[in-house]
Amino acid sequence: MIKLTETVLNGLALGSVYALIALGFVVIFKASGVMNFAHGSLLLFGGYVTARLHDAIGFIPAVLVGAALAAALAGLVQLLATRGLRGAEIHTLTILTIGVDVLLSTELNRQVGADYLTMGDPWGADVTRLGSITVADARIAGIVVAVIVIGAFFAAFRWSRWGLSMRSAAADPEAAALMGIRLDRVRLIAWCVAGALAALAAVFLAAFPAPGLDRTTSQIALSAFPAAILGGMDSAVGALIGSLVIGLTAAMAAGYQNELSILGAGFSDVAPYLVMVLVLLVRPTGLFGSKELTRV
Amino acid sequence: MSIGTTATTPEAATTSRPDSGPGPVPALTVENLTVRFSGLVALDDLSFTVAPGTIHALIGPNGAGKSTCFNVISGVYRATAGAVRYADKDLTRLAPHRIAQLGVARTFQNIVLTHGTVADNLMLGRHRLTRAGFTASALRLPHTVREQRRHRERAAEIADFLGLGPAFDKPVGGLAYGDRKRVEMARALCMEPRLLLLDEPVAGMHPTERSAMAETIARVRDALNISILIVEHDMGLIMRIADSVTVLDFGRLIADGPPERIQNDPAVISAYLGTPVQDTEPEPESATATDTSADTAEATVPDTERDSEETS
Amino acid sequence: MSDTRDTTGTVDTVAAPAPAPADSPSVQARWSDRLSPRGRRAATLAGGVLVLLALPFYVTSFWLQTGLFAMAAVIGAIGLNLLSGTTGQLSLGHAFFLAVGAYGYVWLAAEPSGTGSSTLYGLGLPPVLAFVLAIVLAGAAGGLFSPISGRLRGMYLGIATLALVFLGHHMMLNAPHVTGGFNGRSVPPLDILGFSFTDTSPDGLAVLGVPFGGLERLWYVGLTLVAVAWLAARNILRGRPGRALGAVRDSEVAAAVMGVHLTRYRASAFIVSSMYAGAAGALLALVFKRVVPDHFGLLLSIDYLAMIVIGGLGSVGGAACGAVFVALIPHLLTKYADDLPLLTAPGTTGSGVSPGDAARYLYGTAIVLVLIFAPGGLAGLAHRRPRRKGEGSPRTRRFPLRTRTTPKEHTP
Repeated sequence: MIKLTETVLNGLALGSVYALIALGFVVIFKASGVMNFAHGSLLLFGGYVTARLHDAIGFIPAVLVGAALAAALAGLVQLLATRGLRGAEIHTLTILTIGVDVLLSTELNRQVGADYLTMGDPWGADVTRLGSITVADARIAGIVVAVIVIGAFFAAFRWSRWGLSMRSAAADPEAAALMGIRLDRVRLIAWCVAGALAALAAVFLAAFPAPGLDRTTSQIALSAFPAAILGGMDSAVGALIGSLVIGLTAAMAAGYQNELSILGAGFSDVAPYLVMVLVLLVRPTGLFGSKELTRV
Repeated sequence: MSIGTTATTPEAATTSRPDSGPGPVPALTVENLTVRFSGLVALDDLSFTVAPGTIHALIGPNGAGKSTCFNVISGVYRATAGAVRYADKDLTRLAPHRIAQLGVARTFQNIVLTHGTVADNLMLGRHRLTRAGFTASALRLPHTVREQRRHRERAAEIADFLGLGPAFDKPVGGLAYGDRKRVEMARALCMEPRLLLLDEPVAGMHPTERSAMAETIARVRDALNISILIVEHDMGLIMRIADSVTVLDFGRLIADGPPERIQNDPAVISAYLGTPVQDTEPEPESATATDTSADTAEATVPDTERDSEETS
Repeated sequence: MSDTRDTTGTVDTVAAPAPAPADSPSVQARWSDRLSPRGRRAATLAGGVLVLLALPFYVTSFWLQTGLFAMAAVIGAIGLNLLSGTTGQLSLGHAFFLAVGAYGYVWLAAEPSGTGSSTLYGLGLPPVLAFVLAIVLAGAAGGLFSPISGRLRGMYLGIATLALVFLGHHMMLNAPHVTGGFNGRSVPPLDILGFSFTDTSPDGLAVLGVPFGGLERLWYVGLTLVAVAWLAARNILRGRPGRALGAVRDSEVAAAVMGVHLTRYRASAFIVSSMYAGAAGALLALVFKRVVPDHFGLLLSIDYLAMIVIGGLGSVGGAACGAVFVALIPHLLTKYADDLPLLTAPGTTGSGVSPGDAARYLYGTAIVLVLIFAPGGLAGLAHRRPRRKGEGSPRTRRFPLRTRTTPKEHTP
């Protein structure tokens, strides 16, 4: 029972970090119709900046600078994409993000090297004991920060001018443009928000009990893809729920790996993908994805 | 384009039809069709019948549900309630490709062509009539090569019939608007349909192109004896070629009958204008129409604001 | 050498004026637009084939091996292009099907060996049969995925296929009796009726005084496979299935109302693409002589996407060129690392960029530049009129047409 509770808590912590990444996917997808395959690199970039700066300027400023620079880089990718590809098919844009990812990840991998970079976070390896349950402080912090940030995001999405523009742009870009909504700016902001969220996620992906930021961190970020798809690419709520499902799945598979040994060593790494495939078998556009109505 | 000068007649085309389907042309019966999109009623308990071998027009102001009706008949949209009966089948239960197999072809209001040449597009129309699969095509088996050649000849005939002969091997991307519109029509004809759905076949065309297309539609019906359901805002054209007219407004049927009766139906007139009719600027077609047909009062039901946009 | 003559024969048939012009409208249209006459193109092609046939007599084994890697890449890229370029279905799972082909061949052809925990299963089939069955096996694996590949579109499929790469890698590591686990498994050589595609049997074979070892012999197998793969893809694209697949990409609705069974065609494209990947994987295994799980990761899938994008989506020739480009670069950079500025040879210490990284920079840049400046890829550039991906398609034309000539009707 203790183990189960700990595992569930771990799953929730992992899920909330995934949610930060998956929301980024969804926001970009809603704004530009693009699956951003460069997201893992954006995340690694934000984390790398934080890791390099925290000694000099302190943890919180380093995180903020990391988020700002990741947002700027994401905005740059969006500008690059729209400038060159005005009117091109969305498919092409998605492949463009793969090209950008190849470039970014190669450079970042070279910079990070084979080391683990510490994030300089204040939680270190501290744990909190609630009765007989032990949880890492970093994980609790992850959950708290994610809840606050995601809450702010949903509030902005629901009530701010940007959120309104964003939702109308996603519903009908042509009509939104005719109504005077500047699609380019809406998209740019969407990409920047997604970049900042990814950078934030990097901090918690690298925090205890993970050994630190390394080149595989962006691979872990890939697990947010199943989370976003599972929930439905165009649904923010779906991304949230998908992330929790994926986080819990991964934590369960890791926590009970001895019991699941028949499925092979390292099963927890692939469990999210298995869950995604199973969901897609039943619902091809995810749990909350809208089945698109074709216009003729 | 002049159909009079084309070498191939639809009569000749009929004889070389590889598969005209079993039996006579069936009727299309729309029964109590209702379509709702998240609360919005697009079609409300609509019923009408397209008699075999007739040209049946579906008209109404913008947003009346005409295109929705087309999309349900061709299987693109699901109906909320009701049925579409055709050849002993309920089309609302079939996937689009199954409906195509029954010999139902359609064109699109906003031209939807694929990459490649006119020939490629027309050969796509032959899809339901051909069999070649991946293996046979990859190996270019003799019967596949023969099949492709035979159907290409037929596609070329149909292209000639629509005056597209010279453009047959040209990429569709470079064609003029009117030609692209005709490629759509030709592609639908390439399916050797027994029911042809035309979604605004002359929208955006020049007056001369319009009357040529009207003639083509009438000749297709006469030569092939198929049913044609047509959505069009060009009232002159509708009144000239349609055997029967169904009028929709806000998804509801407001009139159904022969063109002469529709023209004078007060419900139709008020649906279009909201007020009793005034004579508006005559359509470019009205000149041709008076020349060629007995219908004289085509301007009695003036078009919506839509047509004036088109011609401006 | 009998198979090589076969290759030239088939390729020449294509290069010569088509016997039935009615069958190749797109080619006709394209050629008529070209400045150079058809004959010159045929001559170029024939010359190219002759050079390829003669290469083993002149170049070192490094070039033969690199060339064979490129051939495997060409086959795989042609297959992925049918799926992603022609049908518009993104796949990141290509590496998985390459792995199925490679391991499938090894498992089918190898004799069982070892005992206890080091047991390696194998069916010991004749290698040629094993090669063919490996392709079938890859196709079957693609078919098993058809509930997903048939129903998911475009980018959704792209992410779903991501799962194949990770699940596949997991299976490779956890089925050591079939795959040899982390360290992989050695590949039984190809053998046709006692003629072995190794340096032995017949020992010391020489043609025109040039020693003909395993690589020289495999070279011609590779060429034959490339020719068959190329021709089959071109025939499919010019035939009924190709038109249906193109229609699925350009407009699903139009395709469906023309009678194209969307689910079936999407799944079929996926299966055909898997079979191409299987052939590529099996050839790769023969050249490598050893298969290891780590080769078949996400990076390999991305390599293949890079190939078809750089080559030009939808074009068979473009996919082949892109494949050669992406496959050759790492090998060339590694070989000439010492002579090139900024590069550091692998295994040595230095501040320069490793050849592997340099290759990735090069093709990452190539993807971005191609998509922005030459969306038709190498194929588009070769035709001197870059065919933008959206040309003539309703998606790019719809908006201006709507506002200018076809007022948008409210379609709820």
